[in-house]
Amino acid sequence: MPWKQGYTISDEVAVRDEAIAWPDGARCCVLVTVDLNLASGPEGIGARDLEGSVAQFALGDGLEGLLRAFRRRGVRATFAVPAAIAAIRPALVRAIMAEGHEIAAHGIRGEDVSALPREAEQARIRRAAAMLAEVTGERPRGWYGLPRQSDPFAGGALSAHTIELLLDEGFLWYGNGQADDAPHWWVADAAARRAMLTLPYHYHFDDQWFCMFPAKGTGLENPDFLHRNWRAELAAQYARGRCFHMVVHPQHSGFAHRLAMLDAFLASWEGYPGLWNPTGSDCAAHWEAAMPRERHLGLEPSIWRDHPGSLS
Amino acid sequence: MDPDAVIDTLCEADARASARIERIPGLRWPGGARIAVNFTLDFDAMLLRRLLNEPPQQLAKGEFGGRVGIWRLIELFDRHGVTGTIFTVGRICELYPRALRVAAASGHEIADHMWEHHVPKDPALERDHLLKTGAALEATTGQRPVGTRSSHSHALLREMGFLYASQDTADHRPYWLADADGANVLLNLPFHYAIDDAMFYSFAWLGSPNAAQRITDPERVMEMWWDAFLQQYRDGEGGGYLNVCMHPFVSGRALRVGMLDRLIARMKALPGVWFPSCAAVARHVHAQHPPRRLAWA
Repeated sequence: MPWKQGYTISDEVAVRDEAIAWPDGARCCVLVTVDLNLASGPEGIGARDLEGSVAQFALGDGLEGLLRAFRRRGVRATFAVPAAIAAIRPALVRAIMAEGHEIAAHGIRGEDVSALPREAEQARIRRAAAMLAEVTGERPRGWYGLPRQSDPFAGGALSAHTIELLLDEGFLWYGNGQADDAPHWWVADAAARRAMLTLPYHYHFDDQWFCMFPAKGTGLENPDFLHRNWRAELAAQYARGRCFHMVVHPQHSGFAHRLAMLDAFLASWEGYPGLWNPTGSDCAAHWEAAMPRERHLGLEPSIWRDHPGSLS
Repeated sequence: MDPDAVIDTLCEADARASARIERIPGLRWPGGARIAVNFTLDFDAMLLRRLLNEPPQQLAKGEFGGRVGIWRLIELFDRHGVTGTIFTVGRICELYPRALRVAAASGHEIADHMWEHHVPKDPALERDHLLKTGAALEATTGQRPVGTRSSHSHALLREMGFLYASQDTADHRPYWLADADGANVLLNLPFHYAIDDAMFYSFAWLGSPNAAQRITDPERVMEMWWDAFLQQYRDGEGGGYLNVCMHPFVSGRALRVGMLDRLIARMKALPGVWFPSCAAVARHVHAQHPPRRLAWA
């Protein structure tokens, strides 16, 4: 492989379209993630975030709108839930579960963990899992590190230890990786072939970059760009038989014209026979069984060298 | 400052810059083609983001280009009979050699895009980087680069046998470009940031802050690029030129490969559209339209 710590997270060549098989002959996998992070900054959700009208809309009218659309269109979603949200609104989180959606973890306060020491990050992962389990009755199996609108990059933040720690704590999948547009293996230790199954993410299918971005009041409102991206990607991934993953936020896609757009997009799925719409954990379990790392993760010895006068 | 002195300074600056450029009037393409379209890939995967010390998810975003995107774009070009030019960062040879070998075997051009996506200021190290890239590309693909997309010095590029560079747009069409001393002429194949996928799709491109993001959808870009093509096709007086600059980690995304598929099909439906490598354009211009005022030798 060209495996190089600090450069690549996975192997040299992605799984080809024709090698991918979905359950019961399904043609394409469609994943919906609802991000309940309400943090305005890297430190995660603060009291001021919750006191604002945006958060109150998100956890009320906005969320109800999303759930209504999912119900009407028969869509299952995975919710990326900061543990603090579950602690603040346990009944809300249980109501989401009761509709058949999955609850996965998104930090304690939806915070940026990239600068934390290893022990501190481990403690937070344990605490977040315990807090969520207290509300849902089961340990979360998936973990997200989704970005916030104020982040300097649109991919989400994690530390050099995050994936390894999540594996240690028994998590089965990571919710947002950018090195593929199908599930793929995020390698934590190449020698030990230790890797975390990772769901694909791309910011062009995440509503927060198109709805009042980067800030309420002064931001750009381009939901039509988002809608065209969703439609174009679904059509292209369906033709390939691969995977489409969209991310929505109740404060964005739960509002008025955007909610109508989301509903229209979900309604358009009827035009694609053979879509498989699993939760994150169902998708990960299928991939783990059907596309095992032993066969599909090609970690040949590295030919990467140290050259004088070059970065290594 | 005295206004007359300012004007003198401006005149000198303009004279210096224009003396370096020789435009090519009456440019014609082989076989009576009306336009040459160069599809070019800047293949750096995560190496520029690594150079800028960006965080892990940024590297993974670039990694997509090496694991996934490059393969799709090679396949797209092959299917349409388009010869692409892959401006390749030298260290890609150690990361994605298989894709490079397949691209070269399909007849695409492998060209220089620096050793690790920067040109060192120290002349000895600059020479070392250019030599390393040429050697790595040749060892991996069998092709020694004759073109570059970089700010490597013309003197060094000429010494190593380069025919062309592809930077900036002082003219719609290919033009001859000398260095500051009027020597070391190379052909320049112009690329424009408006015909660059990263402008429209890549978040935080070239250090842009959040309020300056312009990420959009492929339909809007398709219309812009189609209009650019059509302007050169119709008004290029038989020597139209368009250089489409793409990045595998950007344009290799499924929705954009789909858009490019439609764009190329639309271009091909017109007569007289030529899809050569940059090297083929350069060899044609060298043979048929050599510099007159500037001297190649």
